[in-house]
Amino acid sequence: MVSVALKLGPALEFPPAAVPASRRIEISLRDVALSYPAGGEGVKTVLSSINLEIAQGEFVAVLGETGCGKSTMLRLILGQEFPTAGTIEVDCKPVTKIDARCGYVPQKYSLFPDRTVLGNVMYGPENMKSRMLGRLRPSFRHFRKELRDQATAYLLRMGLRSQDLGKYPHQLSGGMQQRVAIAQALLMRPAVLLMDEAFSALDSATRASLQEQLHTIWRESRPTIVFVTHNTQEALLLGTRLILLGRHQEEQAQRSSVLLDMEVPSTRLAFGQRIHSHEFHELHEYVKQIAYKSSSLHREEDTAQPPTVEGNLQ
Amino acid sequence: MRPRFHPADLLGIQVRPARLWTQSLGWVLFVAGIALYAHLSYVRHKENPYDRVAPTVHQLYQGMLTSALQPAEEDPPLDPGASLWQHIRYSMLWKDTVASARRFLIAIALLVPCIILGLHMAIFPYFGAVFQRFVLFFDKIVALSLLPILFIVFGIEEWSKIMLMVIGVGPTLVLDTFNIGKSVPREQIVKAFTLKSTNLDVAYRVVLKQVMPQIINSVRLNLKPLALFLFAGEMIASTDGLAYRIAIMRRHMGMDIILPYLLWVALLLFLLDVTLRFANRRLHPWYQSL
Repeated sequence: MVSVALKLGPALEFPPAAVPASRRIEISLRDVALSYPAGGEGVKTVLSSINLEIAQGEFVAVLGETGCGKSTMLRLILGQEFPTAGTIEVDCKPVTKIDARCGYVPQKYSLFPDRTVLGNVMYGPENMKSRMLGRLRPSFRHFRKELRDQATAYLLRMGLRSQDLGKYPHQLSGGMQQRVAIAQALLMRPAVLLMDEAFSALDSATRASLQEQLHTIWRESRPTIVFVTHNTQEALLLGTRLILLGRHQEEQAQRSSVLLDMEVPSTRLAFGQRIHSHEFHELHEYVKQIAYKSSSLHREEDTAQPPTVEGNLQ
Repeated sequence: MRPRFHPADLLGIQVRPARLWTQSLGWVLFVAGIALYAHLSYVRHKENPYDRVAPTVHQLYQGMLTSALQPAEEDPPLDPGASLWQHIRYSMLWKDTVASARRFLIAIALLVPCIILGLHMAIFPYFGAVFQRFVLFFDKIVALSLLPILFIVFGIEEWSKIMLMVIGVGPTLVLDTFNIGKSVPREQIVKAFTLKSTNLDVAYRVVLKQVMPQIINSVRLNLKPLALFLFAGEMIASTDGLAYRIAIMRRHMGMDIILPYLLWVALLLFLLDVTLRFANRRLHPWYQSL
């Protein structure tokens, strides 16, 4: 059975998330907690007792309502913040700073505004190849030409047109910007790709198109992806594993931990059709119910079904 | 269809003036100022033909010619057969402009480290911790009150005047760059590190490149304070320069020289500002559209 920390109605059975021994662990969080001084209120604990192991090639969707600590957990993995307790390892090494082990696609400000699309995508690989003075060598010029061709091919595959490549980010739509941001991160071949509400600001059509694109990329090259979202449907559609963060019902404290960690059942249906299947709908309802029961909207005496839009969880 | 103009539109917020209107209205106050001065000068000269406070247009023209083509009183006169270029090259206006411009440009060059310091304070936390409070305090010191100290330390020659400008504007520029640097979204810095940037890459290839247009705008806004400190220094202790000449002419009530000098200084600053704005637009095409 799934590790569910909430009292649920009808029990559905879904396989629990477990990393097979043969697979390499890409990210591990052991007893991770994060708290900070909150003025007169003493210490505020944001996350507590987070234990996770994410294997290479997994697509982990992290779900939870706004303020539950999803992005904080991502920042911890990234090395932007440090836990007050526990350890975090990425690529079998402890996280002590932000580095190129993790690729990062935030919701906004994901591209450098002073560089063109190509300039943005080539920035990382150029850094990998050479530092300041090394760029004066003739071999670097040759490398740059090859990289330009490679980046162009990648961007065209991501759905950009050749006339877009010389544009600045502000000249692109939000969807295009995020496509470039994903290409920028993936061209570095990071051990892990961290995406923080990367599609939240997009309209539904662009969002659907980008979801499919991301799924295709993941299926083809199998990078490890941690995808933070507050959209249940998106989480179930993309993820091979779902992690629900939230507050325990029996605890009044405002700290979040893992409420649900389950493997999303695989299906043979095409990506576009998956969302219309009965199994998907059932799973969606199940996760929504758990999410609702952990959300700030839910009261103990409340027996009603979760609304279509549960607070920040959709 | 664009609605017809109605006088009440002058106070409207939702009106969209035609391009010709906005272009023309921009010149109205210039024309009014010139007309007012011409009238004032005419009235004063009618009362007193020897009035020196408001020279006539003809007197101003003569003053301009004298400034731009004749050497200063303290310099030797030119040969009668000197060419026009020699007249300009050895004129009072040229000499003073070169002297002031040299001080001005050296001061601007010395402000570059202030920009670098502000940038480092914004990005490197330890830099910020060491410098921020001190610069905040130093910024509140009235630079002109330091002039006696500057005269003692640097003498009354060039460097005291240059340092007055640097000390007067430097802290403001440091704090401005600091604030601009801080406004770069954190996501950009995080992203840069995930793309294998070093600390210096982030500072100079990510943050500085992004904030450069705003820093140039900040320098543009500080051009007038710079000129103010330059004028203060030149008026107190100098043997050449635009402000020195104005101070000398004030003793003789030489308004026919002072007014062209005043307009010349304004024009120079205006042209410098326009040049910086143009350069900013050309160098950072991505910024204008943000």
